[in-house]
Order: sequence, then C-alpha cells, then structure tokens
Amino acid sequence: MRKTLAFVLVAGVVSLAAEPVWAHHAFAAEFDSSKPIKLKGTVTKMEWINPHAWIHIDVKGEDGKVSPWMIEAAAPNSLLRRGFTKNSLLPGMEILVEGYQAKDEAHRANGSSITFTDGRKLFVGAPAGEPGAPPRKDK
Amino acid sequence: MGHRPAVSIAPMVILAVLAGMFALAAESAIAQADKGAPAAKNWTPPKTPWGDPDLQGTWTSDDCIGTPLNRPANLGETLYYSKQELAQRESQLAKQQQNDLQEFVAPDQRVGTGPPSHWAERARRPCKQTSLVVDPLNGRTPDLLPEAQTRRIPEGANNDNPKADSWEDFSYYIRCISRGVTGSIFPVIYGNGQQILQAPGYVTILQEMVHEARVIPVDGRPHASPRIRSYMGDPRGHWDGDTLVVETTNFLGNRTGIGLNGGGTPTSDALKLIERYTRTGSSEIEYEVTIDDPKTFTRPFKVAFPLTQEPGYQNFEYACHEGNYAMSNSLSGARAQEKAAAEAAKKK
Repeated sequence: MRKTLAFVLVAGVVSLAAEPVWAHHAFAAEFDSSKPIKLKGTVTKMEWINPHAWIHIDVKGEDGKVSPWMIEAAAPNSLLRRGFTKNSLLPGMEILVEGYQAKDEAHRANGSSITFTDGRKLFVGAPAGEPGAPPRKDK
Repeated sequence: MGHRPAVSIAPMVILAVLAGMFALAAESAIAQADKGAPAAKNWTPPKTPWGDPDLQGTWTSDDCIGTPLNRPANLGETLYYSKQELAQRESQLAKQQQNDLQEFVAPDQRVGTGPPSHWAERARRPCKQTSLVVDPLNGRTPDLLPEAQTRRIPEGANNDNPKADSWEDFSYYIRCISRGVTGSIFPVIYGNGQQILQAPGYVTILQEMVHEARVIPVDGRPHASPRIRSYMGDPRGHWDGDTLVVETTNFLGNRTGIGLNGGGTPTSDALKLIERYTRTGSSEIEYEVTIDDPKTFTRPFKVAFPLTQEPGYQNFEYACHEGNYAMSNSLSGARAQEKAAAEAAKKK
C-alpha cells in the first residue's frame, strides 16, 4: 500500500484531537480542517526560518507528475532545543506527512505527523533544554 | 521493516497530560500544597560588584507551560496542587519524556493540528499552581468594564470570530511587532527565555520571542512625560530589599492584552504594571506582576509564576518576520473562504 501512497488526499474524516498548539498563528486562519492530506515526498530543502520552519518536498502524483509542497514545521528555536539539527533532514530523504491543506488549496500544509517512510520519527526529541541537557533534579 | 515501536505513542501527549492534570486537580481541589518557594536556607542572594542584588542569567518560565491563566471554576480557591498531585504530575512528565524519546510514531496516531508533539518545548518539573492568576482568590481575570467590552480583539489574539481583511486586522504578536510586557514573560509553548543583564543603574531583560529588550533604569529617575507612549511602556525599577520592583506605565493602549502572547481584550493607555522579581535560590526567581488598568478591568489583579535557570538553556535569535508566511497564507485563506461563501450564495 505504501508504494502507491505517493499523493493521497485522505477522504475520511480525521478528527482534530485538540486545539492547535502552533503558537504564532491560528491554525484555522491558514489551514482547512476539512482537507486532511497524506503525502509521501522527497525533501528538497528545509527553511530554518522564524517564526516557523518550512519543509519543502517533491510529491509524485499517480500520473507521475511531480508537485512541490511546503510543509509547516515547528519554531526553529524549539526544534534546535529539542535536538533537531541542520543534518536531521537533508535533501533527498523521503518522508511521510500528515496534516491539513491550506484554505486557498495551494500546495501548502501544516505537518502534524512527519516521519520517515518506515514510521521513524524525523528525530527523537531530546530533553527540553539544550540538546542533550538533562533536566535539573534539585527542585 | 522489522522495526516495531516499543511503546504505543499517544498522538497528543501534551494534551493528555494536561487533561490528566486537570482531572487530578478536580479530584482533590481542597488540597493546598506547600506554598510557593521560600528562599533556601543557607543561601545568600548574590550581589553585583556595585552592590545591587544579582539577578543575572538566562531564565525561563517553561515550568508553567500549559498552566492556564484563569483557573477552571471547579477548582474554586485552590491555588496550589497537593504533594500527592504534584508527584503524579511529575510522573506524567517523566512518561511524556519517555514517549518523546521513542524512535517510532505509533501507527494508529491521530493527526492533530499542531506539529509533532515531541517537537514541543516541555516543562522540566510540574508547575505547583492551578492558574497563573493568583489574586483574586478565584484565580480568574476580573471582569471587563463596559467600555472595554466593545474593544476589538484582533485576529489571532483569542478572537473567536476572525475575519481578516488586511494584515492590520491581525494581532501585534502575529504581526511580529510585540506581545506587550506581560505577553513577553507569561509562559507559552515555546521561546520563554528571559536573559537578565545588569549594569550600574540599569537592569536589562532580553526576551527571546519577538526579541524584546527592556532597558529598565533603577537609578531613581522619574517616568518619562505621559505624552511619550510605547507598546512596551516606560519601565522604572527600584530595589525593595533583594527584590527588583519594576513599575511600567506610558503604554499606547489598545494594542495587546493580558492573555498569553498578549492575547485577549487589549488593555488601555491607563495600564500600570508593577512587577516583582525575587531570587529565591541559585536557579529560581519568583515573578509576580500586579495588573492595574482602571479603564479595562473592574479591579487590579496579580499573576505569578517561577522563572528558572536550566543547564545549557539560552536565548536564540527570533527574527520573527523572517519567514512569516502565515500572514499571507492567512489572508489568502480568508479570501478563499469569501469566494466559497459567494459561490454558495449564488447557487441558492
């Protein structure tokens, strides 16, 4: 099934588990909760920009045509604090993205689940300090 | 393949934890735990070479991430969790950390609307409080005066009925302009860093998100003329023993609110803030702010929470508008919605 996953617009209702945890804008202003998407794509670049990073991927459709998509990620400072580095996601890597498409139907989506194709997380979140820093125990 | 996730990972671990915390609090709202954080015994607050109390370092309000500003009504006047509740919350945090470190995402994970949960910045220890508001006793923001009830809440600042015609309709936070004084220090889901630097006669606080720099004179000079107004106001500090007291006035008014990230009903030009920064240990400051806006709230109120220093924690640059695609995306989203509504109306 995964081999034909290329570009699948998920028709089923995917329940919104919760209020958005994006900080810098309202999910509802930008994305459409009635347009869930599931994409498999090849990373072309990652923009480490504020207030949110963006992952660019090429997605091959069932007709073989390649479309570029932009996937919104978390804040770059948070990603860095959690252990994500510039080497965590490199051009050429294949990823699976689940999220919701932009309201204007452009090839943009938020990335609520972003994994490698075997389900591995893109990186494993380090403790919430500087990468690798253990939490303080004296409190 | 052959890889299997060792543990099934809940998709919205943060929310599950928050829900758990809420449930715990509801169970024994009568409990009143150890209050606050008294200064540790045998600890002498440090001084700067010129004799001021030394608050320098990079501090974060991360530990109260997720603690609501306003206490849920069913918790009544219970401000602090019991020891037992705190122990449970601590084990929930540990579990969350374990989940964060799992290599695989659970295959049955439901997709929420935020980024993957293990990318979030986390509290390192449980917040002792049930709300950030500590006074009045019900832990809730006082009622708005009638004149404030009609003040427009911008898009993206807890406006429940957003309709963005222009970039000017968005909050000052979304526009990368400012979160105001309280919005720049209240704990939010990331970027809670507060770097304090002192010099003779000054205390400076560099705040990561939206990169504010508050330069606070502590040399006894009076406030600027009331004709001089700004988003972050005019701060004046003094020392009350080892506590830094900062009074800020001269706000523009009608810009940011007292909610997280400066959200909610915007405060007025009559807003006066009195903040107290008290170092209670080598790595903890008790922060408290009294919010007095006689053109907005029916009474003054207080918000308090701890700031902590953490190994390796530092501020990073937050060049907010660098790639604020969300602004244009939200406007094009609003236009798409209008178009869809117009087409639907034609069909009728």
